[in-house]
Amino acid sequence: MSTSTSGDSTRTTGGSRLPTLIFMAWRNIWRNPARSGLTVAALAGSLVLLLLYLGLVAGMTRQMVDHATDLALGHMQLHRQAFVDDQDLYATLPWNTLKELETAFPDLSMAPRLYASALASAGDASNGVLIKAVDPQREPRVTRLLEEVREGTSDLGPAPPTDAGLPRHHVLIGAQLARNMNITPGAELILVTQAADASIGNALYQVAGVLKPIDPAFDRQGVLMSIAAFQSLMVMDQGFHELSFKLKDVSQLDAVQAAVAAKVQALTAAQPLDKLGGPPLLRNWRQIAPALADMISMYDGVVWVIGLIVVALAALGMVNTMIMAIHERTREFGVLRAIGMDKRWLLVMVLIEPLLLALISAVLGVVAALVLIKGLLKDGIDLSASMPDGFDMVGIVIDPLMPMQLEPMHVIYAALLVIAITMIAALLPSWRVMRVKPAESMR
Amino acid sequence: MTSHTFSRRKLVQALTAFVLMPLSLCAHAMKVDELIRHIDDLWRGETSQATMSMAVKTQRYERSMTLESWSSGKKASLVVIREPVKDRGVATLKVDDNIWNYLPKINRVTKVPSSMMSGSWMGSHFTNDDLVKDSTFADDYSSTITFDGVRDGQKIYEITSVAKPDAAVVWGKVVNVVDQKTLAPTVARYYDEEDKLIRTLRFDEVKQIGERFVPMRMRLQPEDKPDESTVITYEDIRFGVPIEDSFFSLQSLQRKR
Repeated sequence: MSTSTSGDSTRTTGGSRLPTLIFMAWRNIWRNPARSGLTVAALAGSLVLLLLYLGLVAGMTRQMVDHATDLALGHMQLHRQAFVDDQDLYATLPWNTLKELETAFPDLSMAPRLYASALASAGDASNGVLIKAVDPQREPRVTRLLEEVREGTSDLGPAPPTDAGLPRHHVLIGAQLARNMNITPGAELILVTQAADASIGNALYQVAGVLKPIDPAFDRQGVLMSIAAFQSLMVMDQGFHELSFKLKDVSQLDAVQAAVAAKVQALTAAQPLDKLGGPPLLRNWRQIAPALADMISMYDGVVWVIGLIVVALAALGMVNTMIMAIHERTREFGVLRAIGMDKRWLLVMVLIEPLLLALISAVLGVVAALVLIKGLLKDGIDLSASMPDGFDMVGIVIDPLMPMQLEPMHVIYAALLVIAITMIAALLPSWRVMRVKPAESMR
Repeated sequence: MTSHTFSRRKLVQALTAFVLMPLSLCAHAMKVDELIRHIDDLWRGETSQATMSMAVKTQRYERSMTLESWSSGKKASLVVIREPVKDRGVATLKVDDNIWNYLPKINRVTKVPSSMMSGSWMGSHFTNDDLVKDSTFADDYSSTITFDGVRDGQKIYEITSVAKPDAAVVWGKVVNVVDQKTLAPTVARYYDEEDKLIRTLRFDEVKQIGERFVPMRMRLQPEDKPDESTVITYEDIRFGVPIEDSFFSLQSLQRKR
């Protein structure tokens, strides 16, 4: 009874009528607690699913980027064009480029690298390998490569000589290569290759350690050694193939890239490089691993599309709820219209019901997702039982322990998505109250 | 009526041709087989011993080496570097399908996996496979004579060898041109599976050794790098040298420095 009087008195000022409508909607929701409860459960459940999926993808994406930049790529890399094109052994940048860049950009960490292919032998086993040479002092400032040792040590210094007094260097090798060639730390490794002066480079090495899988190619074929050992094997000391950079603040990447590129250009102008190696090329990790960058942005899109589908399916429950609620109460709506309630206000009152349900679902869903992600799954999803080495995705090895990471903006967007979809779903059946004719519906 | 007799005569002709064809094919096939065997064995013989120099020219370096080689049929061969001093004693032994390298600096023998057979040998444009002549035209290719006559004032045979479908060989097709008088090869062209010319091997300085005419110089030219080449010159080659089978062993590999 009180509703009808307030409805009459506030015909012109809708603002004070709203609390009444909300109250009515709230009471109406709980007229059928089972139905409303189920609807909320479905919506909240879809939100939890969406948030878990978002958390998983964000965690994995973050892990992939960290893997790519902290373990191997760094944030930017400098090469010669011919090295990028076909790993041309002679496409080097002179050593003073490194000195000049380190002087010009004291805030950047830089690590030079050299690469070559070779034939490795140990006992009866032999295998084509890819040599990667790093500077043991500079490399740890840019990547965690030398920390990723599974067995043995990360020592890249000289090894004890053989009984016959032949000198040896320490090397680290990829896990798959170690398995294929049946090598354990301490074993002797022979490398044979064509040196830069076209002579037959050959030397003895001792395996100091086995590296964890970092990138699939290195895992299968990689031999890691110091730049000093590389230079003596390959008879080449004129320069380096790759310079990897690490920034303190990655958000400055574009500006720093432009500044370093300009400096390299100036250095090249002052000291021209040979023609065959091509011009120097500075690329950031997105440009080096476009598949990774593309996949990350594609993943973001896919997550939201799948989220939309899951939420839309849950919102079908809401459609049903609204159809039933409106069908049951057609008579009441007729009464309300008969006592003078405006049909637009009637629609508002009906739509407040799904809005309240959606808000409850959003709150419950977010809370449940937070409890799950921060509580139960705070250490990530552990797949190491079935995949101890992780798995390989666009050339990046993913850790078997998949962390969950919930971005605050993702939570807000997901909750808004649930509310918006629910309201769209509720609007169609609710529209019927606009056409309620008091005389017919009360008959 | 006339058309009938005509067609009958045609039929007889066709039948005659059909009966005689295998005979002519057979004669041709025998000649191809002989020629192919001749090419396969030209530098190999029953046994052989040779001294040769190799000059490699690439965009990045020029280098020359002196090599000494021994072979016994297609089964076994041994090549030892004599010069430059830096690589002296580096030896490559091939027995059946296996290749080993001996490296005197570190005093170790390493086995070359079959996956590396198509890799460059000693920085030249030749592959490990070329050096040890692992594949032969007779076994791995089916050959036909595709030209028999005068070309550039020289009577030649042109033999086209196409890789057998299941043969583990590098080339899709090899075209050998052989001088009819001396049976010495003049040119060999190597094509990939897509029938694209990859490299050309030219022979000259033909010398008579015993009964056979052997080109003493060969020049390998990769098609994609016109400025690069590898030239092998035989300074001395002898056939029918007595070599015991035990010569081609890992022990003698290490002694041969």
